[in-house]
Amino acid sequence: MLQTAQDFLSFIFNFDLLQEYGWRLVAGLKITFEVVTISVLIGFVLSYFVCSARMSRNVILSGAAVAYSTFFRGTPLLCQLYLVYYGAGEIRPFLTDVGLWWFFRDAYYCCIFTFSLNTAAYQSEILRGALSSVPKGQIEAGASLGLSTYRIARHIVWPQAFLIALRPLGNELISMIKASALAAIVTLLDLMGQTRFIFARTFDFSVYLYAAVIYLAIVELIRRVWGRIDKAFSRHVIAAAR
Amino acid sequence: MDWLGLIFGPDGWGGLLLNGAIVTILLALTTIPFGFGFGLALAVLKLSKSGIVRGLCEGYTTFFRGIPDLLSLFIVYFGLQALIDRLSSALQLTTHIELGPFVAGVIALSVVVAAYSSEVWVAALKSVPRGQQEAGQALGLDRWKTFALVTWPQLIRVALPGLGNIWMVLLKDTSLVSTLALVDLLRAASEASKNTTRPILFYSAAAAIYLIFSIVSGLVQTRLEKRANRGFA
Amino acid sequence: MREKMLLTVVALALAAGISPASAKEWKTVRFGMDASYAPFESVDTKGDIIGFEVDYGKALCEKMKVTCTFQNQDWDGIIPSLLAGKFDVIFSSMNITAERKKKVIFSDMYYATPIGFAAQASNKSNDFSPEALKGKSIGTQSSTIHANYLEKYYKNSDVKLYPTQDEPNLDLASGRLDYVLGDLLVEEDFINNKGNGCCRIVGEIKRDPEIHGPGVGAAFRPDDTDLRDMFNKAIAETDANGTYDKIQGKYFKKSIRGK
Repeated sequence: MLQTAQDFLSFIFNFDLLQEYGWRLVAGLKITFEVVTISVLIGFVLSYFVCSARMSRNVILSGAAVAYSTFFRGTPLLCQLYLVYYGAGEIRPFLTDVGLWWFFRDAYYCCIFTFSLNTAAYQSEILRGALSSVPKGQIEAGASLGLSTYRIARHIVWPQAFLIALRPLGNELISMIKASALAAIVTLLDLMGQTRFIFARTFDFSVYLYAAVIYLAIVELIRRVWGRIDKAFSRHVIAAAR
Repeated sequence: MDWLGLIFGPDGWGGLLLNGAIVTILLALTTIPFGFGFGLALAVLKLSKSGIVRGLCEGYTTFFRGIPDLLSLFIVYFGLQALIDRLSSALQLTTHIELGPFVAGVIALSVVVAAYSSEVWVAALKSVPRGQQEAGQALGLDRWKTFALVTWPQLIRVALPGLGNIWMVLLKDTSLVSTLALVDLLRAASEASKNTTRPILFYSAAAAIYLIFSIVSGLVQTRLEKRANRGFA
Repeated sequence: MREKMLLTVVALALAAGISPASAKEWKTVRFGMDASYAPFESVDTKGDIIGFEVDYGKALCEKMKVTCTFQNQDWDGIIPSLLAGKFDVIFSSMNITAERKKKVIFSDMYYATPIGFAAQASNKSNDFSPEALKGKSIGTQSSTIHANYLEKYYKNSDVKLYPTQDEPNLDLASGRLDYVLGDLLVEEDFINNKGNGCCRIVGEIKRDPEIHGPGVGAAFRPDDTDLRDMFNKAIAETDANGTYDKIQGKYFKKSIRGK
């Protein structure tokens, strides 16, 4: 029984492995960090336009926005990634003609492209929810004070919407970090990609557990920091509620 | 119009796609009772008086909510099997217990779904006032009947929207199983596109089927929520 | 106490719908394959695995008087899955290498094929030395002898690793990759049947015995020496009675048997 316990412990922890391949995990972490940061930022900007289109009175615009967010939220990210990555390969002559092939040739850009479009759909829903939760009376109150539409948006609607959106946006950031592991499947050597590489070389299961610990640490860190930020921004709200 | 032949023709890949779609749905449906059930059990334990029990359950949730679902799947798929092997050799079992890809997929997805849904269940459990239980007991109902007739209908009403979201996540997460050894919808599309070198056609077809699943799920969810809200104007 | 735990495990197993595999007496043998390797193994439109190794595997099973089943398993997980008992033999163009022998045991070699580079048809250079391919992107399947070969000799190239061999081929056809390293019979099959003349074979590499080993064998769990012996006997028998030649004639113009 003791033998089994020891055996199992070495199955979970293997420090030699970390010594030999640790740098690969660090390199992978850097790629994960880049891909997620860039995608989430681009997605944030895009989500503003998607959300505006969604809330516009133009039926075609709002219909297109609904279709966009239904598609990206209703299909698996892996399927979208395959579609972009291998689909781009299929229409290479066209992409070369319009001068975009260099972009889609690279797995790194393909991942950022797909992840940005995907997170934009989710972020736009968060934004829309936040905007519509600001009571109409607030806008009317602003208007009755003679404020311009811009100033109502800038000083009344957005600050409140932002506060409401902050927490779900943090959750979206976390789900993007986790979802970015899919990049490994299209050859990108992100944290998951390096993990798979090491596993393929060593068949040592512990490398998956190391990867899990790293992801867990990042996610927990962000969760805590984000919680602090959220608290700091909404201090006055809590005070008012008292 | 060769694409019609590639999908629906006698040598077309439509059959494989259809099979894959069935596997996807079965996988998701089979996971639901285990995932949600285990999640509810976790939630009850999280509200227990024992600090150790609470800590263990919180740790479980934190772990599986904090790592990529793809990674959870790998860990459960390979790790669970190794664990079973070691356990059975420690117990000196002679028969070899083996998880098939479908069972392993269901277990792996259930583990993740349990972690996600336990949060929803906790919120729902907290929303039912204690007085309701006491009232049930005062009426002479036993604990089980109190739960089934008094707590549950109020619980499920609060939990449904959250559980609906998790179902949507699950539906999409089944696609990760395609990286193991199960021919689900995405894997079928993948095989077809590799054999025909027509990825756009087949991945679009797969996306369309997922989209139909999602939209139908959304409609069913609205129905269920309406039903659960009867009597709560 | 032990009985109780045992009972629990068995009950759990039954509840999960798990069937305990038959112990030792081999009546069924489950084959694990990465079916993305035409003409050796691939998936047809019905989802069944077809190819040389399926036909040959069935012939061996007939000799061994066992029923056999075929399972599709991604290459990255194929050895872990064998060791985890998800099937009994890897019969999937796995080359016999020293590295793998640390984890599994092999049958006698049952085929050996040339390995080499493929490039786009427009690429007219026949030089595939590491210097010539410096900075070029080369794709191959991960955890293969090809990946190890590239890692050892082509350090200055941009090596990309894929879950299956089909995927680098697709990326070669689209021009995302400059070269693909692989089994030349597999590359030829892709170019002739799917690639529509996108690509061409550049040339064959010289085998590095340290990396490539003698050729392809069936892989088993270290404990299953009895099953390996059964395979070796059946392989010899199919050689002697002409079954091997008949099957390979269906797929290949030249013999792949090797020595």
